[in-house]
Amino acid sequence: MVDVAAKAVEKPLMCLVASAGGHMSQLLELGEIWKGSCTFWITTASAVGDRLSRYGQVYVVGECNREHPLRVIRVFLRCLQIVFRERPDVVISTGAAVGCITCFLSKLCGAKVVWIDSITNVERLSLSGRMVRHIADLFLVQWPELAEKYDNVEYAGTLI
Amino acid sequence: MIFLTVGTQFPFDRLIRAVDRIVEEGVISETVFAQIGERSYRPCNFESVACLEKGAFDDYVRRASKMIGHAGMGTITGALRDRKPLLVMPRLKRYHEVVNDHQLVIAKKYSELGHILAAYDTGDLPEAVLRLEDFVPKERIATPNTVSHRIRRFLDGMQD
Repeated sequence: MVDVAAKAVEKPLMCLVASAGGHMSQLLELGEIWKGSCTFWITTASAVGDRLSRYGQVYVVGECNREHPLRVIRVFLRCLQIVFRERPDVVISTGAAVGCITCFLSKLCGAKVVWIDSITNVERLSLSGRMVRHIADLFLVQWPELAEKYDNVEYAGTLI
Repeated sequence: MIFLTVGTQFPFDRLIRAVDRIVEEGVISETVFAQIGERSYRPCNFESVACLEKGAFDDYVRRASKMIGHAGMGTITGALRDRKPLLVMPRLKRYHEVVNDHQLVIAKKYSELGHILAAYDTGDLPEAVLRLEDFVPKERIATPNTVSHRIRRFLDGMQD
């Protein structure tokens, strides 16, 4: 009870999530958008994790993609634990699978979902993006053509 | 020095072998240095390492006169940041070099926009390498700030 009351007056808790590599470099291009919020991070490899730790708690959940269903389940369970413990108010992700999983779980906890589809998706949204689009509160793409092709999708510039 | 890079996650022997061959044939006379990833074909005609640290990678990009690589975003953004002429050959799903053909789409889009040169098969490489000699990449202007502002506006709205 104390926790809930305390949280109401605190800054919003922001979850920043992206796979290591290109997705994470795009997320980091957002500049310190997380300033003024409490944050925690979810990523897939520890090499990036070390760099992020100065911005908040970092959870490294391991790599997963649709080719490896067992790993997807393992990552899903890790994210489930993390999200239900942390209870973010908002989640921001550039993908990929780990971002998709975290967005759905966070939405279940009442979080707002911000998705920026990766620049590598030129002609159509990523598989993760196509799923998250249905639950996202703000959905951005990095090619104007994509914003015309899908409903509730906005183009607001490019990260890289 | 020509810096050849195929990322570090998966091998891309098709490209490394092809460059090895055209160096041997004398199509490329400049020194080549390559980052080839783990468990890859080891070229006979130039030096290579499996994996470079981020700092060392950036240093090779800076020192290179030209670059050849896969169509990964890390490679493309690295080259564009330092205005280096880059020739990419996309990894293809058909050869199990990647899970989908996003590199093909990226290679097409960025070469259409004049940022890079692309070869779509090893047969096209020798001719493309010659074009790389006097290729001047078009500058890419990313706008991460406008994306951040859009998200900031969304987050501010959340708190009202």
